[in-house]
Amino acid sequence: MTYYLTTLGVYAGVDIIACLALNLQFGVSGIVNFSFIVFQAAGAYTAAVLSLPPDSGNGGFQTYVFGAQLPFPIPWIVAAVVGGLLSVPVGLVVLRHLRVDYQAIAMLVLSVIANLVITNARPFLNGAAGLSLVPQPLSEQFNPYTPGYLWGYVAVTFVCAALVFFVAQRVVKSPYGRTLRAMREHELAATALGKNPVVLKMTVFIVGGVIAGLSGAILVGFITIWAPSTWLYPETLILFAAVIVGGRGNNWGALFGAALVPVGFEEATRYLPQFGPPGLVPALQWVAIGLLIIGFLWFRPRGVVPEQPGRFAAAVPDRARLAEEPSVS
Amino acid sequence: MSPDGLGSAAATGPTGTNAAAQPMLTVRDVRRHFEGMHAVDGVSIDVLPRRITGLIGPNGAGKSTLLAVMAGTLPASGGTITFDGADITRWPAYRRARHGMIRTFQLPSEFAQLTVLENLLVAAQHNRGESLRGALLGRRYWIADERREIDRARGLLARFSMSAKESDYAGSLSGGQKRLIEIMRALMLQPRLLLLDEPMSGVHPSIIGEIASYLEALRDDGLTILIVEHELHMIERLCDPVIVMAQGRVIGQGSMAELRRQREIVDAYLVG
Repeated sequence: MTYYLTTLGVYAGVDIIACLALNLQFGVSGIVNFSFIVFQAAGAYTAAVLSLPPDSGNGGFQTYVFGAQLPFPIPWIVAAVVGGLLSVPVGLVVLRHLRVDYQAIAMLVLSVIANLVITNARPFLNGAAGLSLVPQPLSEQFNPYTPGYLWGYVAVTFVCAALVFFVAQRVVKSPYGRTLRAMREHELAATALGKNPVVLKMTVFIVGGVIAGLSGAILVGFITIWAPSTWLYPETLILFAAVIVGGRGNNWGALFGAALVPVGFEEATRYLPQFGPPGLVPALQWVAIGLLIIGFLWFRPRGVVPEQPGRFAAAVPDRARLAEEPSVS
Repeated sequence: MSPDGLGSAAATGPTGTNAAAQPMLTVRDVRRHFEGMHAVDGVSIDVLPRRITGLIGPNGAGKSTLLAVMAGTLPASGGTITFDGADITRWPAYRRARHGMIRTFQLPSEFAQLTVLENLLVAAQHNRGESLRGALLGRRYWIADERREIDRARGLLARFSMSAKESDYAGSLSGGQKRLIEIMRALMLQPRLLLLDEPMSGVHPSIIGEIASYLEALRDDGLTILIVEHELHMIERLCDPVIVMAQGRVIGQGSMAELRRQREIVDAYLVG
C-alpha cells in the first residue's frame, strides 16, 4: 500500500510540474506544444544515463551512452538544462515562421519521429527495451526500499512542484505574463505594439523545456526505468486534457487538472471491470479522455478554474492623491 | 500628380500650409507582390508631420497592403521606407513600433480575454516587469512602473470616456469601443506616427463622429496620423492631404475638393 500511495504521489507531483509547464506554454502563451513529452523524456534519459554506471556494468545487458554515475542532484540539474537546450533548436525551427496550427502539426510529428528514432537507434539509449536499473537518488546513503525513503521522495517531488508553481505564478501575475497572454490573443497586434513574438515564444518555450526536463528526471529517479513506450505522443494529449479541463492560463487550474485527469481519471478508470475483447477497456480510456477534452471545449472552454483577469486597485481620486503625496515645491 | 507617382504633398502643400515641413514618413517606389500579383506597385508618398493624411481608393486598390508594408507587418518586395530620417525598410514590425510608428488593423484586434485596462497596459514600454527576469524578481521589482502605467492608462480611459469599462473583457465591447481601445493602446506607446486601417469600419454611425473628434484632438496635440478609410465624409472632415490609390498605384493627391475636380479620380473612385 505504501508503494502504491507513494507512486501515486510522485506521479501526481510530476504531472503537476508537467501541467504547470504546459500551462505556461499552451495556456498562457498559446504555443500548442504537442511534443511536450519529448522534453520530459529528454530529461528522464539524461538523468538516467548520468546516474547509471557505464553500460558494461550489470553484465552489459543494456547499451547506452555516457553512464557517468554522477551523484544526486547533478543528474536532475543537467536533465533540466538538457530540456531547455533541446527547446532551442526545436523552437527556432518551429516557432519562428509557422502559423500556430502548423506549429501544432510540426510538434506532433516531432514527437512521433523522436520516439521512432530512439526506439530504433538501439546503441544510443537501448532502443525499445529502454533503460532499467536506474539508480535512485542518494540510494547509496539511504535504503530506497524503505517507506521513509519513498515518502521522502514524494516530499522532494512536491517541494519541486511548489518551486515550479512559485515560478509559474510569478510569470503569470506579472506584466510579462500579461504580454504573453496578449500574444496568445492576437500575435499580430502584440507585434504592432512593439513586442517581439519570437523572443517571447522562445523564452517561454525554453522555460517550459527546463521544467519538463526536471519532471522527467524526478519520474525516472523513482520508477527506475525509462523506455519509448512510456513517452508515446498520446501522453502529451493527457496533459493537454488536464490543462483544458483545469482551466488554461490559470496555474491553479493546471494544478487541479493534473490531479483530476492524469491521476484521478486514469486511476479511477483503472478499476473498471474488464469486458469485451482484450484491449477494449484501455482503448475506452482514451475515448473517455477524448470526450473529456471535447466536452470541456464545447461546454466549458475556460475550464473548471478559469483564467482570472488582472486585478488592480481602484483609481485614487485626484483630491485624495494630492493630499497623500508630499509637495515637491 | 508628379511623374514618379509621388504624391507631392511635401513639395506643394495641397492647402498651402506647412509646405516646408520635413516628411515624417517617406515611401519611395515601394512594391509588394504576391506571386505575380502587384498589390502595391511602385508607390511613393510622403506623410507630413502633425497632419491627418487620408489614403483612399476602391476595394483592392492596395491601401491596406501599403499600410501593412509601411508598418512592417508585410515585407516590401522593393523600394525604401524612411521614418524620421532612418531607413526602416528592413526593420521588423516590432522594431518600427518601438521607434514610434504604431498601426491598427482593419478588423478589431483587441486582446479579447484581457480587460480593457490590461489591453492598454500591454502596450506600455517602460515596465521592468516586462521581461522574464523582471517577472521572476517579483512584484516589488516592477510595481512602481506598473503603478505609473496604470495612472497613464486611466488617464487615457478618462479622456476617451471609457473609465467605466476598465474592468470589462475587451472581447465583450461594441465595435466602436474596440476601435477606441486600439487607438488608446497605440497612444500608450506615445507614438509619433499612427497608421489607422479603416478605424470607422463596423462602427455604429453615432460613434463615428466621436472617433473623428478624438482624432482631430490628437492631431491638434501634434500627432501625425495616416488613415485608410472608406467613409469619405470623414476623410473630407479630417484629412489633408488625401492620397488616392487604384490598382496598386497612387493616382492622385490633394485636398478632397481638389481631388473631386480630377476626372480620372472621380471615375476611378469618387463616384458622385
